[in-house]
Amino acid sequence: MRRVLTTTLLLASAAALLSGCMTSVRPWERELLARRDMAWDSDPLEAQRRNHVYWSKEAALGGGGSTGGGCGCN
Amino acid sequence: MHRVHVIVSSLRSAGCALLLLVWAGAALALESGDRAPSFTAPVLNHPVLEDGTPISLESYRGKVIYLDFWASWCAPCATSLPILDALGDEFGPDQFQVVAVNVDRDPDRAVDFLSKRPVGYPSLTDPEGRLPIVFGVETMPTSFLIDRKGVIRHVHRGFRKGDEEALRHKILELMADGR
Repeated sequence: MRRVLTTTLLLASAAALLSGCMTSVRPWERELLARRDMAWDSDPLEAQRRNHVYWSKEAALGGGGSTGGGCGCN
Repeated sequence: MHRVHVIVSSLRSAGCALLLLVWAGAALALESGDRAPSFTAPVLNHPVLEDGTPISLESYRGKVIYLDFWASWCAPCATSLPILDALGDEFGPDQFQVVAVNVDRDPDRAVDFLSKRPVGYPSLTDPEGRLPIVFGVETMPTSFLIDRKGVIRHVHRGFRKGDEEALRHKILELMADGR
């Protein structure tokens, strides 16, 4: 019984400590993430040009996309 | 065998503790039918009152209120501001009131934004982000349409051009209700 209690306490403490890692950025705290320089591509035109060159060199199309950083609005 | 039982029991307890922590940490979003919590916050842009004067939501009780959480860095908010301003002008101050809550960490950014794109309705400031927690804001912008009795009747998440048509309809319904 004592061992169960000790192990439970240890695991619960670990869970409590690790729960800090689950803290997410709330929607109204995305000010810094919404900055232009936080986006994957701060210059869409330049990114398009680079992609075009990449696709031409690699003779492949697509597969390089991902959603932007952005403010997470909408 | 006994050791396995100990580990399983312990894991179960720890799992329950973790679930409780997650549940306690999650904000509960207010929905239609909930009573709008009363609050007071300093105003950033009032045509008459001095900047920083505290204004309470209660002071607009009896009117249909459109409570809008916005920030200067939020693109859909920038779309919504002139549209909300037009709705405020359309329905007049006697029965309808737009009240905004700005959540910029630096209120000066909101002041700067409003000086470039002024609106006629009051924008309160909450740089610590306490009110979005109380209301359970899940996206930016989020708005709460509150009836004359202080009950939330619609939650509008995000904002796109054209949303005002549905909003206008809901506002008219609420204005006709409880006259």
